[in-house]
Amino acid sequence: MGISDVIPVPVAIDEEIEKWTIFGQPVAEVWFTTTEKIHQIIQMGPIKNIFNWGRKNSVYFLMQPMGCCGVEMFVFGAAPYDSDRFGCIPRNTPRQTDVMIISGYLTRKYLPVFKNLWEQMPEPKWCIAIGECAISGGPFYDSYNIVQNTGDYFPIDVYIPGCPPRPEQFLEGLINLQEKIKQRKDLREY
Amino acid sequence: MDGLIEIITAFAAQEPGIFALIIGIIGAAVLSAVVNVGAMAVIWADRKVMSDFCNRFGPNRVGGRWGILQLGADAIKLFTKEDVIPAGVDKGVYVWAPIVASAGTMLVAAAIPFGALHIGGKDYPLVVANMDISAFYVEAALSIMSIAVFMAGYSSNNKYSILGAFRGMARMIAYEVPMGVCVISVAVMAHSLNLVEIVQSQTVWYAFAQPLGFIIFLIALVTDLGRIPFDQSEAEEEIICGYNTEYSGIRWGLLYFQEYNNFLLGSILVSLLFLGGWHGPIIPIPLLDMISPMIWLVMKVVIVIWFIILVRAALFRLRIDQVTDLGWKWMLPLSLVNLGWAVIIGSYFA
Amino acid sequence: MTTASEVLSSIQSAFPGAVSDARVESDRRLWATIDSNKILDVCKHLTNKLNFDHYSGSAGIDWIARNEMEVVEIMASHGAHQVVAMLKVKTPRANPSVKSLTGLYWNASWYEREIWEMLGINFEGHPELYPLLLSDPLVGVWPWRKDFKGYPDYTTGERAVAIPTPDGYTEYSFPPTQAEIEAGTVPTERPKYPTFLERETREIKSDSEMIMHLGPQHAMVPGPFLLDVLVEGERVKKAFLDIGYIHKGIEKIMENRTWLQDIVYTDRMCYVASLSNNECYCGAVEKILGLEVPERAQYIRVILEELSRIQSHLIGTGEFLTLIAGVGFAPWQYMIMDRERIISLIESVTGARLTHTFVRFGGVRNDLPDGFAEQCKKDLPYMRSRIEEFIELFAQDPIYHARMENVGSISPETGKRMGCAGPVLRATGVAYDMRKEDPILVYPDLDFKVITGTRGDSADRIDVRMREILESIHIIEQCLDRIPSGPIKTEAKIPKKVPAGEAYYRVEDPRGEMGMYVISDGGDKPYRVKVRGPFYATFQTLTPLLEGTYIADAVAIAGSMDGCPSESDR
Repeated sequence: MGISDVIPVPVAIDEEIEKWTIFGQPVAEVWFTTTEKIHQIIQMGPIKNIFNWGRKNSVYFLMQPMGCCGVEMFVFGAAPYDSDRFGCIPRNTPRQTDVMIISGYLTRKYLPVFKNLWEQMPEPKWCIAIGECAISGGPFYDSYNIVQNTGDYFPIDVYIPGCPPRPEQFLEGLINLQEKIKQRKDLREY
Repeated sequence: MDGLIEIITAFAAQEPGIFALIIGIIGAAVLSAVVNVGAMAVIWADRKVMSDFCNRFGPNRVGGRWGILQLGADAIKLFTKEDVIPAGVDKGVYVWAPIVASAGTMLVAAAIPFGALHIGGKDYPLVVANMDISAFYVEAALSIMSIAVFMAGYSSNNKYSILGAFRGMARMIAYEVPMGVCVISVAVMAHSLNLVEIVQSQTVWYAFAQPLGFIIFLIALVTDLGRIPFDQSEAEEEIICGYNTEYSGIRWGLLYFQEYNNFLLGSILVSLLFLGGWHGPIIPIPLLDMISPMIWLVMKVVIVIWFIILVRAALFRLRIDQVTDLGWKWMLPLSLVNLGWAVIIGSYFA
Repeated sequence: MTTASEVLSSIQSAFPGAVSDARVESDRRLWATIDSNKILDVCKHLTNKLNFDHYSGSAGIDWIARNEMEVVEIMASHGAHQVVAMLKVKTPRANPSVKSLTGLYWNASWYEREIWEMLGINFEGHPELYPLLLSDPLVGVWPWRKDFKGYPDYTTGERAVAIPTPDGYTEYSFPPTQAEIEAGTVPTERPKYPTFLERETREIKSDSEMIMHLGPQHAMVPGPFLLDVLVEGERVKKAFLDIGYIHKGIEKIMENRTWLQDIVYTDRMCYVASLSNNECYCGAVEKILGLEVPERAQYIRVILEELSRIQSHLIGTGEFLTLIAGVGFAPWQYMIMDRERIISLIESVTGARLTHTFVRFGGVRNDLPDGFAEQCKKDLPYMRSRIEEFIELFAQDPIYHARMENVGSISPETGKRMGCAGPVLRATGVAYDMRKEDPILVYPDLDFKVITGTRGDSADRIDVRMREILESIHIIEQCLDRIPSGPIKTEAKIPKKVPAGEAYYRVEDPRGEMGMYVISDGGDKPYRVKVRGPFYATFQTLTPLLEGTYIADAVAIAGSMDGCPSESDR
């Protein structure tokens, strides 16, 4: 990793900067040890709690209707159930979302696309599996085209059972996820 | 009080360079604080007022039942998100786009009077850079955002983004001309391009003196801000998020925030140019009479902001060809008509 | 009026010896086995001479015991008469191949592609016989054949070739076996759906063009499907559609569940219209069983189906509004709020919001709760005033008119030729409604109009849906006035095993004509259930409509179709 990965500079300048020194140390090394230290301090102290408070109260979900649960997801984001109350709004680009809602049957044809979407989301990110189909294949457990256990492919934080679950259950799942974020139980090895 | 002013004037006479620098730094700090806090309030109002129009509650879990801290939570989350720079983007331009956007809004803010203090029967306007052509300058600097939008869309290496960038450019060019003509019409009546003088010359609000110009300017402003019915550059349902599809974390947060900065500054500009700025009866209460021009300006700005939010809740989005059609075939000729009207009325009353 | 027996005699006199094993079930249903060499001529004869201008789909059946396969062409008419002709074409199981009807009917393409990928029946003369619903590696497993044992298959395990993916899981591919290649009918390489890069190199002619994905994940899609548009600037020059992202294999699963369990699966075909799907399946089975439904149950079914139509149209229109106005647009939120009232009415009867499983063979599951009629009488007038308000809102909005009028127009002839269904077809001016064409339940006694449009554009489609809601409210009010007391289930005992037989039953889904073709071989499970979905039929017309429009229009057109990919993928 060079400086140009952090700050946009041409590669030639990047190589030049690598040679610079400060306090007898290479500049790049000082930069990265400093940022590392900052990260460690953040992880330890009450700052992390503030971060988690922010993350907890601002959960944007990816609008991705896939099945019956997709319709309920639509209603969950709209006026009758109003997920915006919890700071949870739908976004359409995975780059700006924090939680992926698997809202229905995941087929073999769709799985590669879905993986791609998941990987486009920036860390930290969470995943909610909604409905029987996403949890275990549900009524389609013996179908030739359905991925039976989405947990094998995605690190799922909250399971919301139901076929389809009611929007109230969506809200409950969201609150559970918020609790999980707050308790810092979302730390995962990647 | 008098002693302090004497010391300051003495210092200014002795070291004019340093004095200007100190004043500049203080001005910039106060300015960015005022503008950014104002924009935060606008974002909050946008979410809550939109929710109200849509029969919802809107954020009400953090910061009391009004959800005042919602924006804080959003900002903390965006600050601590992973900073993704996708492979294949034009990195330099990609990284600089949000910064150019922020710089653009600050440039606008520098020349906008944020009100006036009423002391001893005289208005002292609060403006950082009181330049002679500030009306024109502000109108031009508002469109720096469009350049940032183009930078963001072009550099993202994404098909949605490039379409958003082109749409933003086409729209900006089509509406910048009628907007400029409207500003000239105002200047013709006010005999000045200085915003402070324009406000001071408004014995009759220019919204009444030239209603056509007011309407055209308002429409062109909504276009410049990229809000429905003119949000083609980020039309969520067509090209996902348009120019900021590939932006994530705080970079997206900055771009998003600058839109609202512009929203606030644009609303202030409308109030200054057409709604009489800080004009209004002085409230005869001690201390309140000093800031009463500010109160009037804030009230006008709030009404403009509320109106633009209402437009978003009530109108459909236009297609990009209809937008440019409207701009070139209706807005521009009508703004020229308005210019003629302004010249006639202006010279009659002069 | 033409009747089924007249149709049969006309075919027999025109093509002596072509028809074997014909059966006239009623005035409206004709079953006939046609010589596979004559099928094209018979279809031409039906279309040109007997007004069979509605190619309604085809079904493939694997008769493993008889060692043959069957393709059933379903032919009907757009209002000229009410006969549905089920023309069966037989082909040996070892080397299945029949003639393609794509030359005669534009919309035959998808039906035949589906039969090919699911059953391996080759269609001679089909121009683009590549997979429709399945992903490429799965082609060759022929999942709908009766000897298919699951994926990846135990018995045909040696056929499956494991492909490890970079993500760490395993895909399987099913290339042609040696025996199949030696038989000579199967090419060594199966046709594949063109990849994005292949399509780019083939289609892009100049630097100013690009292919853009609208889907599978996009704000426009009501469920995952892939719409690739070739754009030059803002203009769409060509569009490509790829579906099957939520193909669940419902038709196969239904063959492996008991008759009663299958009702559950019909719910999940189109989740915003599950009651009419229930009705369609149960109606077909009742037809085989010869069951009479008590009158009260019929009224209850009608009430619920119309309520279901209202909520489906509301959410469809609501989603459409977000597409052309953004999510900040207030009226769509009002629509969803109003829909909640209807949902709670349905919920008070069936106990579920979306997936009801309410209709039973020969009746319904339970009676209307106390106070249902009073609640309806409170909610429905409110609904009517709201809908009238919405209609007025759309009629008065100049931007709406500028955006929607003459966008994606379909002429009546094109609509019929392409086989559109439901409000999309009725917006063109063709009054084709199953409730009038093939009346079921108590619909013949009820007074209602078939709503039609004039221009067939996006604005008309929305307008037709909105005015249909008013008609539905009218129907429900009549039903509430007339509903008799009595049993809600038939007295007759319903056997576990349904006697051998077949039936084709059509209902008016919110999205148009839905048909189910149910075959029983006398067992406790259906032998084959073929679903003729309305959106599957309408979906095909999307790509030609998009050519030459703007991207914003493409979104508006796709939205005004009121899509339900779950039903088209099944």
